[in-house]
Amino acid sequence: MGTIEFHDIYKSFGNNHVLRGVDLSVDPGEVFFIIGQSGAGKSVLVKHLIGLLRPDGGRIYLDGQDVTDLKEKEFYPVRKRCAMVFQNSTLFDSMTLLENVILPIRKHMDVTMEEAREMASEKLKLVGMLRYADRFPADFGDGMRKKVAIARALTLDPEFVIFDEPTTGIDPISAAMVDKLIRHLSDNVGVTSIVISHDLRSIFGIADRIAMLYQGKLRLDGTQEDFKNTDDPIVQQFIQGLPEGPMEV
Amino acid sequence: MDAPTTTSPQPRREPTNFREFLGAIGRPFVEVGGTVRGIFSVFGLTLYYLVRGRTRWKAIFEQLHEVGNRSVVFIAVTLGFLGAILIYLAGFQALQITGDLQMLGGLFLQLLLREFAPTIAAMMIATRVATGMAAQIGSMVVTEQVDALRMSAAQPIDYLVVPRFIATTIMMIVLTIFAVLVAYSAGALTAYLSFGLNVRTFVDMSFIGWFDVLLGLSKALAYGMAIPIVACHAGLNVFGGSEGVGRATTAAVVNASLAVVILDFIISGIGYVILSLVS
Repeated sequence: MGTIEFHDIYKSFGNNHVLRGVDLSVDPGEVFFIIGQSGAGKSVLVKHLIGLLRPDGGRIYLDGQDVTDLKEKEFYPVRKRCAMVFQNSTLFDSMTLLENVILPIRKHMDVTMEEAREMASEKLKLVGMLRYADRFPADFGDGMRKKVAIARALTLDPEFVIFDEPTTGIDPISAAMVDKLIRHLSDNVGVTSIVISHDLRSIFGIADRIAMLYQGKLRLDGTQEDFKNTDDPIVQQFIQGLPEGPMEV
Repeated sequence: MDAPTTTSPQPRREPTNFREFLGAIGRPFVEVGGTVRGIFSVFGLTLYYLVRGRTRWKAIFEQLHEVGNRSVVFIAVTLGFLGAILIYLAGFQALQITGDLQMLGGLFLQLLLREFAPTIAAMMIATRVATGMAAQIGSMVVTEQVDALRMSAAQPIDYLVVPRFIATTIMMIVLTIFAVLVAYSAGALTAYLSFGLNVRTFVDMSFIGWFDVLLGLSKALAYGMAIPIVACHAGLNVFGGSEGVGRATTAAVVNASLAVVILDFIISGIGYVILSLVS
């Protein structure tokens, strides 16, 4: 039994049936990659875990607790344990970098402003952004904004972190730093990471296990070796990045 | 863990022409019902956070500036022209029928207070402000900033809707008073230039009573509450990227205008019932 379980998840937006019965299980402490084409439903699936979306069918379990039907406020403790680094970084433009990181601390924890400031500074230091703490997100490019978003996600010392395309749009060195950070969180802090990615270098660099979604269903769930050795032509086309093949684009 | 209780959808039956026909008839009703339910839900939550939430003065002042200051020229131009046109047409007809313009200013002021100033100003605000609110919040939804707020245990209604609600409610009343002044001044100038009507004759308060002022202010208050709620609801329900933001802005202006017209009908109806009871 995994620490995170998705059972038979269905989700549609109007006539667009994004998820058509997905079953997935994530084990404690592992770095679990979810891959698939754009629009395959990867982000949609993980957002169900933290209540940002509600499934049309199926159940979701976190450490054995059924979180499917929790109310918005009942999701607060779940969101405290399970942070998310969004695809677009999603920093608030009207706040400084430090204020962005302070916000979840002030909302989720009963601490003074000074304590929150210290905690936030520590996380900004971890991603090398402390010297820019008083500047605004608009002053920075995607890579640096993503680092701050990671710092914000880690402020509450979560047990689970969802990374939505963490290395997309950032330079190779920063991408390698992010990969190293994800691996470090898993190996040294025991954080369970779900990473949504198209970045083959990351996938075959740090993944403990990989799941591929295709046409709203789970195509393959296995280790790096399972993916490299599979005969499935759709999986092979995707991981080799071939423009021609059986995959419907 | 016990076997999970799945609630997977049942296999779909093939749609027949008759079922598609029924679906086509029913779909708009279901969609309208869903929208109305959603708008009332946003309204209820806004009132809740208005009482229970923290007052964000900075955000409120920003919105006061956005809704109020930035609409002044727009309202002045539209209501100014409207006042001039109405007085020219009404004066022209009055001259042909009775040849007397004595009551022109008094009746025009009554019409402005009861109907034109609050409703036309609200329509203008619905087009200028509601689209902006829907686009702004819709973009935040598309770029996942609203999700990030929810992840930080911050309520989007509290952070995004309440400041806009407070600012628009206050500014709608202020802009309505401004609209009355502008339209009436433009009307007085037109009456003087077109018909030679003395301004002291035009400015006639004898037709105005507490009912007219109260009715106009009630409408301004109701429109000021309805427009941000409808606009923010449209913004919060965006899906499908930038295309969705476009749909939301259209929905915001259409629904806000409809809300203004429906509220106008209801408040006018209630107002005249009260007037007939007290007089």
